[in-house]
Amino acid sequence: MAMAFKMATTGMWVTEECKNSFMEMKWKKVHRFIVFKIDEVSKLLTVDKVGGAGEGYDDLAAALPEDDCRYAVFDFDFVTVDNCRMSKIFFIAWAPTASRIRAKILYATSKDGLRRALDGIHYEVQATDPTEMGFDVIKDRAK
Amino acid sequence: MYGGDEVSAIVVDLGSHTCKAGYAGEDAPKAVFPSVVGSIDQMEVDDPDNSDKNSVSADSKPKGKHKFYVGSQDLGFRRDHMEVLSPIKDGIVVDWDMVESIWDHALRKCLLIDPKEHPMLLAESCSNTQHHREKAAEIMFEKYQVPALFLAKNAVLTSFASGRATSLVVDSGGGSTTVAPVHDGYVIQKAVSTSPIGGELLTDCLLKSLEQKGIAIKPRYAFKRKEIRPGEFQTVDLDFPNTTESYKLYSQRVIASDIKECVCRAPDTPYDETSYSNIPMTPYELPDGQTIEIGADRFKIPDVLFNPSLVQTIPGMESSLETASTIRGLPQMVIDSINKCDVDIRRELYSSILLAGGTSSMQQLKERLEKDLLEESPQSARVKVLASGNATERRFRYEEHGASYIQRKCP
Repeated sequence: MAMAFKMATTGMWVTEECKNSFMEMKWKKVHRFIVFKIDEVSKLLTVDKVGGAGEGYDDLAAALPEDDCRYAVFDFDFVTVDNCRMSKIFFIAWAPTASRIRAKILYATSKDGLRRALDGIHYEVQATDPTEMGFDVIKDRAK
Repeated sequence: MYGGDEVSAIVVDLGSHTCKAGYAGEDAPKAVFPSVVGSIDQMEVDDPDNSDKNSVSADSKPKGKHKFYVGSQDLGFRRDHMEVLSPIKDGIVVDWDMVESIWDHALRKCLLIDPKEHPMLLAESCSNTQHHREKAAEIMFEKYQVPALFLAKNAVLTSFASGRATSLVVDSGGGSTTVAPVHDGYVIQKAVSTSPIGGELLTDCLLKSLEQKGIAIKPRYAFKRKEIRPGEFQTVDLDFPNTTESYKLYSQRVIASDIKECVCRAPDTPYDETSYSNIPMTPYELPDGQTIEIGADRFKIPDVLFNPSLVQTIPGMESSLETASTIRGLPQMVIDSINKCDVDIRRELYSSILLAGGTSSMQQLKERLEKDLLEESPQSARVKVLASGNATERRFRYEEHGASYIQRKCP
């Protein structure tokens, strides 16, 4: 499988746009979340949607299509039990049941390439339906 | 090729019960047929049945001193002295001549392609040895001269087909059940567990338990049925003394597995004789017109998956699993397999258990497995069992792959 991985990850180019907007999210905190998509024709990974700092987790959930796969990163701000302000970045692989199997395989095999390009992700979530990436799951993981 | 520059790759999955072949990137395989072959010794070539010039015998080809018949159509036709043999034993190929004849049938007869022009992806079982991979590659490159070949573990393919790189794949097929954890696209070999309980064993259990109740399943070839008046049928028994035992058994199994698929259902709680003794009977009409009623067996037989020691209580099956006491049930296999993995990924595995294979499409099996696992898993784990919506789709799930993942690689 190693070769298939290499093939898939090198074949799918992560554009500068993706890296830049991720860095902006990480350092400048201008985005709350970013949704990435793979363009099947050009084999490029591009930014699909970005959410401003004021938007919340529900806006991210609404930004994901019901019948296609996506990758998303979410910056989760919270206050710990001892009143410390924390921020954790989540990576979400969204593969709903209704999406095409071709898309699911494409996203599952290319995930590694994007993960390597984006530095500083704390947790990873795989989701096939909204309950699997509910806010409670995120909170639970961040503890 | 029309339009695209992409030559479509061929995917072949030779399972213990059925062989699936098709084009990569499509939603379902083009060809599905039983992975058993009918074999006739060439010594008996003067047999009149072999020399007739119908299309069926044109489909077969001589091979050494045997003549092989492959495909559901060819096997549906009874021939004198034809033995039905399987090239696969315990998930491992034992007879490569038969495998070649099956591949031939899949590529040349079903898909009608020239293997020289298409890259090939073979799905292999998790327990495949180095030697078997070499042999498969040798045949593919030297006999079929494929331009590119990739051997992929079927657990990995199932995992990718559902869009996950990390998951626990429960593949319950015809000949065996395999539980394999997949992490980031790799199978964790040391945690793979298998058991010989699969669809075929359940079919045999059903067959034996019907026999014991005095119901004999007449194979389809053994009678003729015609309509004498509208709505009224007459059944005439035919006798073929030269039919082999294995062909008779094969034909009976075809019927028994249909009964199993129609009426069986995994019970919600572990099966016990007393509480199921007076459940309503379900009728099933056999091909010869006789209607049988199936009661407790509807639930008892699927429960063998969860509690293998039940096999001992089915008359005639006692000897089939001598080591039944050491074989674990499905939930136990899942838990043991997860516990052999690294602590960090256990949680994720619990929350993405994927069902694959024909036997897993049994009614209520997903719900029962989820329930049993919830009882036995650690409290913090979120157990989630996933399966694709419809049963037939689930069987062929791991067939579909984007063509771009196929790479040349010699094992």
